[in-house]
Amino acid sequence: MPKHILVVDDEAVIRDLLEMFLTRSGYRVTAVSTAPEAEEVASRDRPDLVITDLQLEDSDGLEMVERLKSLLPETPMMLLTGVLFDPRVVRETLQKKVSCYVEKTAPLTRILSAVQGLVGR
Amino acid sequence: MDKTVRRILYFFILVLGVLVVVAVDSVRNINREVAGSDWVNHTHAVILENEALRSDLYLSDGLAHTFVVTGDPGDRRAVVEALSDVSEHLDILAALTRNEPDQKGQVAHIGSLVNTRAGFIRALLGARQSGNMGAVHSLLADDAGQPALKDIGRAIEHLKQDELGLLTERDTAAFVQAQMTRWTVWTGVVLDFLLLAGAAWLIRDDIAARRSAATALRLANNQLEAKVRERTAELVSTNELLTAENLERSWANQGLEHQLNYNNLIINSINDLVLVLTKATNISRVNPAVVRVTGFEPHELINRPFASLVHLTHPGMAPMVDPIAQAMRDGRDLRDQGATVQDKLGRRIAVDVALFPLRDRDKVVGGVVTIQVIGPGERQEPRP
Repeated sequence: MPKHILVVDDEAVIRDLLEMFLTRSGYRVTAVSTAPEAEEVASRDRPDLVITDLQLEDSDGLEMVERLKSLLPETPMMLLTGVLFDPRVVRETLQKKVSCYVEKTAPLTRILSAVQGLVGR
Repeated sequence: MDKTVRRILYFFILVLGVLVVVAVDSVRNINREVAGSDWVNHTHAVILENEALRSDLYLSDGLAHTFVVTGDPGDRRAVVEALSDVSEHLDILAALTRNEPDQKGQVAHIGSLVNTRAGFIRALLGARQSGNMGAVHSLLADDAGQPALKDIGRAIEHLKQDELGLLTERDTAAFVQAQMTRWTVWTGVVLDFLLLAGAAWLIRDDIAARRSAATALRLANNQLEAKVRERTAELVSTNELLTAENLERSWANQGLEHQLNYNNLIINSINDLVLVLTKATNISRVNPAVVRVTGFEPHELINRPFASLVHLTHPGMAPMVDPIAQAMRDGRDLRDQGATVQDKLGRRIAVDVALFPLRDRDKVVGGVVTIQVIGPGERQEPRP
């Protein structure tokens, strides 16, 4: 049974690319563009991993992560963002809120390694 | 039709030919056998009639001598009947040998002798019946030793031996013919057996060759299929690789585009004026705040000397060297420089200017200038 990954990003190109790549890598992927959609999927079909953008159209990604954590306390959350943070910010702030932080400029293989590190192959 | 099938067909045609030859020869021999059997029956009939003739002739001769002694009319009638039988046997013999010249001649000779003897017997009967015993004694005296009867017996025996000889010859011929028939049949059987064995060998050889060809074909097919599978796997692998590379490239492109857009968004959102200068201090890029404050469109500003837009204010005398160009050459920051910006309408706006050189590794390739608007009008006091 493939692991279920919930991808949240307001950019269709990123959603499509991630869905295609992760599906090819053997995961079951549900891609949505808004926080309410993400919460609806999380309550209906529990994901093994949530990958979310930081800046969504309708809300902040970190706020959505907080809400999802109440629904999925055991599920790892990965922040995938184009905002380049200072390493100290990452270390002191982001890592307390999410399981993993990956920049959107990182290659897909690195994203895959991070995903495999969180949910396995 | 391939070569082997043609050969097998030739073999079966040969088998059929041998069978036809054997059958024709056998039928011909059977016909000869039937004809020979008729001839044998005919020959036996001649011998039997010949023997009957001799028997009835001796009977009539004996009865005639009896009549001479007894004078009994009954004996005389018996003699006449016996002579009649003799005559009948002669007629039958003549009929049986009419188509055989040699035997026909012998029968004619026998008939001549028998008729002579029959004449003697009739003469004897006539003399006895008339009571002329002298004539009877004379006839019997002439026939002393019965030489005529012995001649007839020899002639009849000669004919009989001839016929028996022919029978022997015919038996020999029949035996040879039967042997020939056996030889023909067995030769045909052996020949057909050899031909069928040859055909069987050809068929077996052909089947073996076809099996071998089928095996070779199957092996070739298997190898081809293996190669196709291998090639397909390679193509699938290459396709996977290309798709992965394509995805990675698309991802990298979107990442760069996203980053670029994000950076532009940041710069364009800044309320301060931001200008990018070349190393020669010409303007190469401006943010929307520059357009908003100066009223110039970007194309009116690009490539324009920075000094024509922004005038640094100097306490006392103006320096001999442009401080912006100097700072750029030195690769150092320049902060809080008092200056005025002249907008499109010619108005002067008091500003603070800061320069940050752009470095590519250790080389200064340009600079970023940020301008903070203080207010309209000439700046009078330089900032400390």
